[in-house]
Amino acid sequence: MKKHLLGLFAGAALLPLNAFAAPVEITLWHMEQPPHRVQRIQEIIDAFNAAHPEIVVKQEPQNWGEVYAKAPAAISAGAGPDMLFAIPDFTPILKDIGALTSVKDFVDELDKKHDFVDSTVQSYSYDGGVWAVPLYNMAMNLWYRKSVFDAAGLKVPETWTDWKAAAEKLSTDGVYGIGVPANKQLYTDQTIYSVMVNGGATEIYNEDGSLRFNNPQTIAAYDYYAGLQKLSPPDSTSWTWGEAEACFVSKSCGMIMQFSVISSYDTQGGGEPNDLGVAPIPHADGESGHNTIAYANAVMLLSKDEAKRKASEEFVRYLLEPETYGKFLNMEPGLFMPVTADGASAASFWDDPMAQKYKSQIETVIANAQNGRLFGFTSGRTFPSIAAISAQNIVAETLQSMVVGGQSAAEAVAAGQERMVEVSK
Amino acid sequence: MPKSQALAIAFVAPALLVLAAILGWPLVSAVLLSLQDVKTIGSQGQWIGFQNYAGVISNPAFWRSVAMSVAWVVANAVIQTVLALVAALTLHQNFPGVKIARTWIILTWIVPTVVVVIIWRWLFSTSGGMINPLLMQTGIVERPVGFFSTPWTAMATLIFINSWRWFPFIALMMLAGLTRIPSDLYEAARIDGANGWKRFTRITWPLLAPTLSVLAIVGTLLSFNVFDIIWLLTAGGPAGGTRTLPVMIYETAFKGYRLSEAATISVFATILLMVFALAATRLLAREGENR
Repeated sequence: MKKHLLGLFAGAALLPLNAFAAPVEITLWHMEQPPHRVQRIQEIIDAFNAAHPEIVVKQEPQNWGEVYAKAPAAISAGAGPDMLFAIPDFTPILKDIGALTSVKDFVDELDKKHDFVDSTVQSYSYDGGVWAVPLYNMAMNLWYRKSVFDAAGLKVPETWTDWKAAAEKLSTDGVYGIGVPANKQLYTDQTIYSVMVNGGATEIYNEDGSLRFNNPQTIAAYDYYAGLQKLSPPDSTSWTWGEAEACFVSKSCGMIMQFSVISSYDTQGGGEPNDLGVAPIPHADGESGHNTIAYANAVMLLSKDEAKRKASEEFVRYLLEPETYGKFLNMEPGLFMPVTADGASAASFWDDPMAQKYKSQIETVIANAQNGRLFGFTSGRTFPSIAAISAQNIVAETLQSMVVGGQSAAEAVAAGQERMVEVSK
Repeated sequence: MPKSQALAIAFVAPALLVLAAILGWPLVSAVLLSLQDVKTIGSQGQWIGFQNYAGVISNPAFWRSVAMSVAWVVANAVIQTVLALVAALTLHQNFPGVKIARTWIILTWIVPTVVVVIIWRWLFSTSGGMINPLLMQTGIVERPVGFFSTPWTAMATLIFINSWRWFPFIALMMLAGLTRIPSDLYEAARIDGANGWKRFTRITWPLLAPTLSVLAIVGTLLSFNVFDIIWLLTAGGPAGGTRTLPVMIYETAFKGYRLSEAATISVFATILLMVFALAATRLLAREGENR
């Protein structure tokens, strides 16, 4: 009887705590701004919140142009988010101001369950920790129209010589053989590095952290790229991703390098899946195997509050569950690729109508992503200066010095290395 | 202290306090920041005295940006003044639909900058834009022009777009100035046989001059600080060809992670603008006294 009474009292004492404990509120900042992506993320959040009444997740979409300045300011003011999406070069900035703690144990736990693509974890592994949880991958590919290639009697280019010859053959009245950007902007960083990694110029750092950007392979890659740029529209010096896609879907460009064109091709470019070709980026003559640039997007867990951090981990666990993960990736079908083995075969990923329609293209993109690299995050060597080098688009700036400034590849690359040294101070 | 003076100070004090809070404090913060070596927002820096000032002064890129800003301000001032004057004189006439025209003209000014950027970027595009096909069909050019592909064409295109956006605002200010000129002056001039040009040079221009002078100061300060259109259309490129001081400040702070250096450049920019504003207002006051 006494025991029962004690139990009753204990239960009565705990009841109000459980009944009235406020749910843990956590905020997610991400940079997936297009309305349909925001809506898809909200659907996932709603489902998570419904299944986890003790947690309330809220999303606050940001944009890449502002977040580099906004996030450190918000964190310093104590108004930062609990979770923040990231690309590899964003993470060192927040790590430097002490906003990050390693998520190695959490990543290990997820890796055991889902098996991450190694390169995606590698991009966030340095200084003895893992600083973000990989969420999705983006890899650069060569997109073309099969009918256009057939009409010109072209095969998918394998080497740089084939590639340039194809671009020249496709250059006809009113059509540019290829559209490659030469803007001082991230897209150009991505396309030029995609050429560099196919010409043996993968590393920009030596093992000791000194720069080795100025080397014969890099010079050859820039020289080659500048040749392709001459076959591109004249305003490609101000292009970002959208202009390249517009050029391709409007049939003004014979080929482009892009992460994915599936969405715009489907809505504005005819939408005939059998005509859309995607291939790995061609490699230099004499090289073997195709490489590309790949961005493993990830999420940083910023909260120092134990309850919020646990809630954030719970949300990330939920996102990576195969039942949810495909739905998350298909917020932009064909653009966001899985970073886990079970995600790559998840029914929730492949059952999407767009994934079904462009299945062969998506399979090629996933295969290309396996050979993905990112400048400054290769070979397990990551140095803090990569944040400034990336943010100032010095890889792209070097190309502009050639295309706009008239410098030779050797001069531009030498100046590019000097700039990198300067911003590294 | 006379009672009236104390009352005046009491009335002005709240406004001065608000100004000190919203303008004075950020300015002081910027100066303090410029004396340190803070890299990113939120990180700590060391006091380094005037090292940043010495570094900025010896940086050729800074002087290129100053020159770029001056060119930007002068070109915008000239083009916008000419366009605005023509528009204001036209809208000052009585013709059917003038009221609609006076409302319609401010449309470019009220459209959000991002929309302006998207519209012009698309119009100037070589893939699906309208301007290149028009130029080619009329035989003005043989091949599509990359309007943002070289430093000169990019700067000229930006000046055109910015002037297109802002001249209606200046035109309306001028129109307000024109409506204050008594109509009997024109009537008297007409009776005396003055032609249109004489009426413009002897009546309109001298009486509009005070308005134009104020607009020149305000317009210069506004133009100098334009960032959004430049950043969204060219981000200071190509090859730094449109990197004015505000663009350089943003790039240094948020792309280069050299917050203190950016603060130093902004201190120089503030001094430059203050010197200009002080000189211009003094000149204006002297002209007012001479009149």
